[in-house]
Amino acid sequence: MHGILATESNETRQISKIPSWNMKLVLSFLFISFSLISFSQSKVTLSGYITDSNDGEAMTDVKVYIPALKLGAMSNAYGFYSLTVVPGKYNVEYRSVSYGSEVREIDLTKSTVLSIELGAKVSDSKEVVVNMKKTENVTSTKMGQIELQMDQIKTLPAFMGEVDVIKTIQLLPGVSSVSEGGQGFYVRGGGPDQNLVLLDEGVVYNAAHLFGFFSVFNADAVKSVNLIKGGMPANFGGRMSSVLEVNMNEGNMKKLKVTGGIGAISSRLTLEGPIKKDKGSFIVSARRTYIDILLKAAISDTSPFAGSSYFFYDFNAKLNYKLSAKDRIYLSGYYGKDVFNFSDKKGGFGANMPWGNGIAAFRWNHLFSDKLFMNVTTTFSDYMFKFGSQQDEFRFELASGIRDIGAKVDFSYFPNPIHRIKWGADYKYHTFTPTSVTAQNDTTVFDTGAAQKLYSHEASAYVLDEFDLNDQIRLNVGLRYSAFAHVGPFTRYIKGDGISTQDTTIQYQKGDLIKFYHGLEPRVSMRWLLPDNSSIKAGYAYNYQYVHLTSLSAVSLPTDIWFPTTDIAKPEKGWQGSVGYFRNFFKDKFESSVEVYYKEMKNLIEFKEGALPGDNVSDNTDNILVFGEGRAYGIEFFFKKSIGRFTGWVGYTWAKTERRFPDINEGNIYPAKYDRRHDLTLVGTYKLNERWTFSASFIYATGNTLTLPSSWYVQEQNLLFNYGPRNSTRMAPYHRLDLSATLYSKAYKTKTDPATGKEIDVKKKYRSNWSFSIYNVYNRMNPFFLYVDNDGDFLSGNFKLSVKQVSLFPIIPSATWNFEF
Amino acid sequence: MEFRILTKLLFGISMLLMAVSCTKEVQIDIPGYKDQLVIDGSIETGQPAIVLLSTTNNVYSPTNFQAYLEGFVSGATVTISNGVETDTLTEICSDNLPPGTEEIAAAFFGLPVDVLVNMHLCAYISFGMFGEVGKTYTLKVVNNGSEYTATTNISTPTPLDSLYWKPEGSYTDRGFSWAKLSDPSVSGDSYAWQVKLAGMSNFSRTFNPFFNDKFFNGQTFDFAYENPMSFDDPMGDPEYRGYYKLGDTVIVKLSKIGKKEYNFFEKKYNQIYSAGNPFSTPTNIPTNIQGGALGIWVGYSPWFDTLICQ
Repeated sequence: MHGILATESNETRQISKIPSWNMKLVLSFLFISFSLISFSQSKVTLSGYITDSNDGEAMTDVKVYIPALKLGAMSNAYGFYSLTVVPGKYNVEYRSVSYGSEVREIDLTKSTVLSIELGAKVSDSKEVVVNMKKTENVTSTKMGQIELQMDQIKTLPAFMGEVDVIKTIQLLPGVSSVSEGGQGFYVRGGGPDQNLVLLDEGVVYNAAHLFGFFSVFNADAVKSVNLIKGGMPANFGGRMSSVLEVNMNEGNMKKLKVTGGIGAISSRLTLEGPIKKDKGSFIVSARRTYIDILLKAAISDTSPFAGSSYFFYDFNAKLNYKLSAKDRIYLSGYYGKDVFNFSDKKGGFGANMPWGNGIAAFRWNHLFSDKLFMNVTTTFSDYMFKFGSQQDEFRFELASGIRDIGAKVDFSYFPNPIHRIKWGADYKYHTFTPTSVTAQNDTTVFDTGAAQKLYSHEASAYVLDEFDLNDQIRLNVGLRYSAFAHVGPFTRYIKGDGISTQDTTIQYQKGDLIKFYHGLEPRVSMRWLLPDNSSIKAGYAYNYQYVHLTSLSAVSLPTDIWFPTTDIAKPEKGWQGSVGYFRNFFKDKFESSVEVYYKEMKNLIEFKEGALPGDNVSDNTDNILVFGEGRAYGIEFFFKKSIGRFTGWVGYTWAKTERRFPDINEGNIYPAKYDRRHDLTLVGTYKLNERWTFSASFIYATGNTLTLPSSWYVQEQNLLFNYGPRNSTRMAPYHRLDLSATLYSKAYKTKTDPATGKEIDVKKKYRSNWSFSIYNVYNRMNPFFLYVDNDGDFLSGNFKLSVKQVSLFPIIPSATWNFEF
Repeated sequence: MEFRILTKLLFGISMLLMAVSCTKEVQIDIPGYKDQLVIDGSIETGQPAIVLLSTTNNVYSPTNFQAYLEGFVSGATVTISNGVETDTLTEICSDNLPPGTEEIAAAFFGLPVDVLVNMHLCAYISFGMFGEVGKTYTLKVVNNGSEYTATTNISTPTPLDSLYWKPEGSYTDRGFSWAKLSDPSVSGDSYAWQVKLAGMSNFSRTFNPFFNDKFFNGQTFDFAYENPMSFDDPMGDPEYRGYYKLGDTVIVKLSKIGKKEYNFFEKKYNQIYSAGNPFSTPTNIPTNIQGGALGIWVGYSPWFDTLICQ
């Protein structure tokens, strides 16, 4: 136990030693891989883009497969595919998640560019459309990776009618929520900051509205969601635990379309359409809550909290345009803000607290050849939190945030069907503002020091090759190199003891290099195909993380501070190994998997015990941080039915997550606050007919850990508490059942064909649906937090201490009306 | 003190949450209880040292008045030393108080006189040594074979430049007490603010009575404090709570304390205001006592001034 979680003895070293066998293995595979490419004989290439015939959107992860050769390729995030084969005439199968399989006979005597549209036949059919996905569950090297389709997410029960991407991924094995209704999610024992959340490749630093109860992702603007929770490929980095890729819709290339919805707490409207048909399109989507109006009605004028209000809004926009057959550009943007006003008339106290994200990404796709695809991305990401208050004569303002400007380039090379090679580089310039404070009492301005800003460069480069060693074994071998430089201007505060040493500072000028870290991150994953439609997969990933989220509270809040690696705060680093068995049944109707993982993490960050908000004012935040390590391990079972009227999944996870910090809990190992031994989810959707779809989800999870007072004492007539060991108390288990039903309007109307005089069914331009949800059907009072309450007084003899449980959400029915035309 | 505003906001949010949520009592296992000695000791310029000894109680143990009384520790050996002399403190009990000290003792324990004199509450007092400016005092407690020590200092007091009163808002006869303070240029000065109205025997503490010079080191500045006594007056008009009224005579006591002692009180008040708040981190209150006890040994260096509200 102690051996595994042993503290690094030499704290001064900058680069972690990756085991030499590890590096040799990766380099050997890369060498073999590139050697094999050179043996490729004269061949022809079939390439092009795959789009949806209904709206012209690029289709991701469509399998292009030639049964005669048993060779195939997948379309990438931009719909591009490339398959190099020996010349011949072939039946080529295009398999998509949404539209099933479509076969084209293609004469490949020479290299051919064939961009195709999928889905026309199915969309015209009046038959019930069911999911026809041919799963890649067994055959791909991906493990710990799950893609979710928005159509599926939209039919699941939604809290207060708000379709929510994050809450859906929390239903997957290995992923757990921070708390009741929380948006923060923990993946395989990692913290919320160890998840890289990307919106069209721009980093999202705060993915939550309303203190975590709602996601920043407007479901109408989202096209697809992809979660990588283990075996992270080399083209991703910068976080230790997972990658959540959220891709926005591109906008309808064919016609103008309006969608929207009116819900219990918010409404939304989306407009999309062609800029030029089949050349370019746009989408704009906006959403706003009316919680402030509801709150105003709920809080009476005589309440001490009268005047308190809250609302959020967000805005998504995206443009794309095909400049030529080889060039396409995209411009994506997101802006969202939460505003909370708090009023306590009794205490004469008022506060205003706005926070939010702004994200922009510009991308350029270029085809150098039918085998070489390039994507260049420039990104801007900004997250800010502000707090202003006034009590009597005292005025106080606080701000914190993070801003990134970055660029990256990614190449995809498809030399032959055996190899799929990627390489690229990434750069970001970070500006962190952990805390900026101004305070004034009447005319007296307090000295809160200059606003702390920290500047840093982060860069990385990678190469990976996914290749088939033989018919059974496929390998994905990659190597990533990352580097981080903390640069000036910067003021380092060095605290003296006030007796033999006094406080001093070191002043770094603009551009001064304060500290440099770098390291190699090998990534390997393997699939070994077995008979009976099954496979064994294994993966290993080493990761560095140079930005950290520090939190003073037991729950995730916008007040949490993003903080960079510095000379004191070292980069988080760690590895994860996983092994899994995957098997599909009944012609891929059912898919299943069992995965075992083990993860170690070093240089994790927490605030010192007893740290208070503001302790980092006129000081460096890392002076009040402590550092430790952690480990997590578990086993995940997943059983899914993705074809037919009834679809859904069952997931179960047994896991353990521990931490050890020399300066916390007297140096003893303690469970992480999101340590959960058991986590069970059941999700089901039944499509009764063209008009009705029913869904249900059930969750059972071991209760969260927390720290409560174990004893009380009295000092100067005040009752004080002494807390027990860190996270030694566990709340009651969490379980909840949600149900939903969606009623669609009739999709077709009957018309007389003027040519034949017969009655025919014509698809309606205008469609709508009612979505009914019941959250927490059996009204379980799940614990949100516990606290020790005291009531009465000593003298009257009725003084009493008790543990109180606060539960947030009882049974909540909701209805949302959605429309499109 | 400024950041308690943020704590206050988070507390307010949790109150809002509780207002819209469901709360019920639960029985849950809370491991980690340790029986520990609690030392509550102080010494002030011109005053004897007073030390109370008690023990911690399990959070699930009875919390009635009898349990509180049984928590006091009697029979310990308590000494203080100023580096030259040592004095052994005398244990005196509330049911055997020297004549004339009943009211002081009642205020000290926070109990009515008639209740106190019928109790057996004991304190240790240094009748042979009184606090002096510039001296360091070491406390030693021996109880049940265990030894606990702590050191504190009585430094030079910081005088207030002036005191004044001004009406607040639309009121003409109600307002806060204001003070002008010139903080010495050395960083780390920490203060305790106490007040009483003329005629009262004991000082009261404001809601946030402890502050340090982190944000005003070496500056001269004005600040206001509320009237804490008004909250204890059941007959007072709730609208005027917190204010001094025109004509009040207020005696102010600004005491200088050490850094470690300030740290104790800062964390203590933070715990009082954030206990049970899910947005706060569980905070054990640090101590300056060696040997495994909880509590504080603090030296106060007071400066007194009088304000007539006019």
